[in-house]
Amino acid sequence: MNAATYAAKNLLRNKVRTGLTILAIVITMLAFMGLRTVLDAWQAGADYAAKDRLGTRHKITFIMPLPLSYVDKLRQNKDANGQPLGVTDVTWANWFGAKNPNAEKDFFANMAVDPESFLRVYDEISLTPEEKQAWLSNRRGAIVGDLLAKNFGWKVGDKITLEGTIFPGNWDFVISGIYHATRKSADRNSFYFHWNYLNESLPEQRQDKVGWIASRITDPSKSAEISKKIDQLFAGYPDQTLTMSEHQLQISMMGMLTAVLTAINVVSLVILAIMLLILGNTIAMGVRERTNEYGVLRAIGFMPRHLVMFILGEAATLGLLGGGLGVLAAYGIIDHGVGPALEANMGGFFPFFRVSPTTALMAIGLAMLLGIVAAAIPAYRSSRIEVVDAIRRVG
Amino acid sequence: MSDATTEAEQDGNERAGEEAVYRGTKELEHIIKLRQISKTYWRGKERLDVLQDLDLDVQKGAFEALMGPSGSGKSTLLNLIAGLDVPTRGTVQIDGADVGRMSEGTRAKWRAANIGFVFQSFNLIPVLTALQNVELPLLLTHLSGKERKKRANIALKAVGLADRVSHLPKQLSGGQEQRVAIARAFVNDPKIIVADEPTGDLDRDSASEVLDLLGKLNKEFDKTIMMVTHDPAAAERASIVRKLDKGQLI
Repeated sequence: MNAATYAAKNLLRNKVRTGLTILAIVITMLAFMGLRTVLDAWQAGADYAAKDRLGTRHKITFIMPLPLSYVDKLRQNKDANGQPLGVTDVTWANWFGAKNPNAEKDFFANMAVDPESFLRVYDEISLTPEEKQAWLSNRRGAIVGDLLAKNFGWKVGDKITLEGTIFPGNWDFVISGIYHATRKSADRNSFYFHWNYLNESLPEQRQDKVGWIASRITDPSKSAEISKKIDQLFAGYPDQTLTMSEHQLQISMMGMLTAVLTAINVVSLVILAIMLLILGNTIAMGVRERTNEYGVLRAIGFMPRHLVMFILGEAATLGLLGGGLGVLAAYGIIDHGVGPALEANMGGFFPFFRVSPTTALMAIGLAMLLGIVAAAIPAYRSSRIEVVDAIRRVG
Repeated sequence: MSDATTEAEQDGNERAGEEAVYRGTKELEHIIKLRQISKTYWRGKERLDVLQDLDLDVQKGAFEALMGPSGSGKSTLLNLIAGLDVPTRGTVQIDGADVGRMSEGTRAKWRAANIGFVFQSFNLIPVLTALQNVELPLLLTHLSGKERKKRANIALKAVGLADRVSHLPKQLSGGQEQRVAIARAFVNDPKIIVADEPTGDLDRDSASEVLDLLGKLNKEFDKTIMMVTHDPAAAERASIVRKLDKGQLI
């Protein structure tokens, strides 16, 4: 036997209480890891974004369109001073915002794109040669991500109708291909169709407008410099631009979600605070019940620091057990349940929704640390007990 | 003032003479020497003088019983001898060590090496086996785990519980629990064993067994035993019975 045996055996003293406390830690840690994984997943979206692709949108707001002529201007690859801009290819897109009338609540991204340039600039979108040919040759053709196709049960050759919201009416399409992503920067839940199909259907005053322009650049390390040059190029035009890399774009979108991120962080802290109180209460109860026992230990020569070690060791072990089981539960529930489901259905927001090793280690470390913090006051009090009072017997 | 000085001088001369007689005749050694001990507690604003100007000498290897009514100060006196508490006034010398002047940490170390405790309600750790309970004081030594276990086994064998080493306290009878507590008290070979009502929670047979064990520790292992008891039958086993009343030995 050693001192650790005593600390460990104390955990088994009241099995129901210990079990419920561990369960509380498991649930707390599960919630904590779930929230951290949401943050990680958003961050992953930014990390996976292509760094050699720039997005150019209207300077004022994302919903204001740009003239199609800007695409030709960029394709000239010359900056405002006539020097090479560093752009190798350019494509454009419009947000379509339609719904599947058979599943109106299932959101998915649908965009009008220029197929040829789109497949060059977004080369991580993979189609078979037959599918590619079918799409390019059919103005009503559309390609869909494999996860979206699976979700709606769409197959190549299916004729489908989407219900427009920004562009009202029923829009008929033929599924020309189901694409796969060769890199995680591509969303596997999106729907792309011919921009011309949309453009020709619009009133004349709304034609030849694009939502944003995507450019491939030669040197990702110069993305900031090239972005600035693009914006300078259009500085004298009525529609000024704002250009940034996809990576920056994702981060700026996350910036727009600051309030949500802050709320998640606050909730994480609240969860940890609740755990601290649960642990503190449990440990304080246990220590109070053992006052006489600690008095006996002190009588036979154990020092106050020994008692502190016993109590902190017990609390840390409790945290370790709860944190460890919480991590196992999180791997089971998030990595093999919620995670794959979110990736399949909300891949645009959560391209990779798994518990990271850092989050798992953080959870275990925090559970142990909080255990120790929660036990600090009971441990201190136990170290201050008067031996005679603890083993008091009137004589 | 002069009368008081004279009385103190006379007391000192008498004690010196008494010690000279002891040395000359029996070569007795006092392992416990308490001088002018007072202990005062405060309960709110109420002052409680539990011990007052008490002197006590206990020979090495003695088996002494302390008796007295409740509240007479028996346990307080025992706590002072065991180094669990310090006097408000006076000196507590145990085997040459001035226990009353030690810091709390030093007293804890001193207790671990010199004092064995036997409590009325046994005070075993409920989650530890008999063997582990006996091994507990040895955790404070530098002995190896194997050696600790060996010594704890020997101690349990000495109290007749070799076949109960793996039992938890709740699986033992009251008498057996107290025997485990006695094994725990002498496993680290202390000079003094203090027993506070060791038979108070036991039936007559179990009490007799426990007193036999204390007698054995006293006679065969030369342990000095200080026992607080209300039980005249228990007190009969001691070689000296002291009576305490209102904080003074009578």
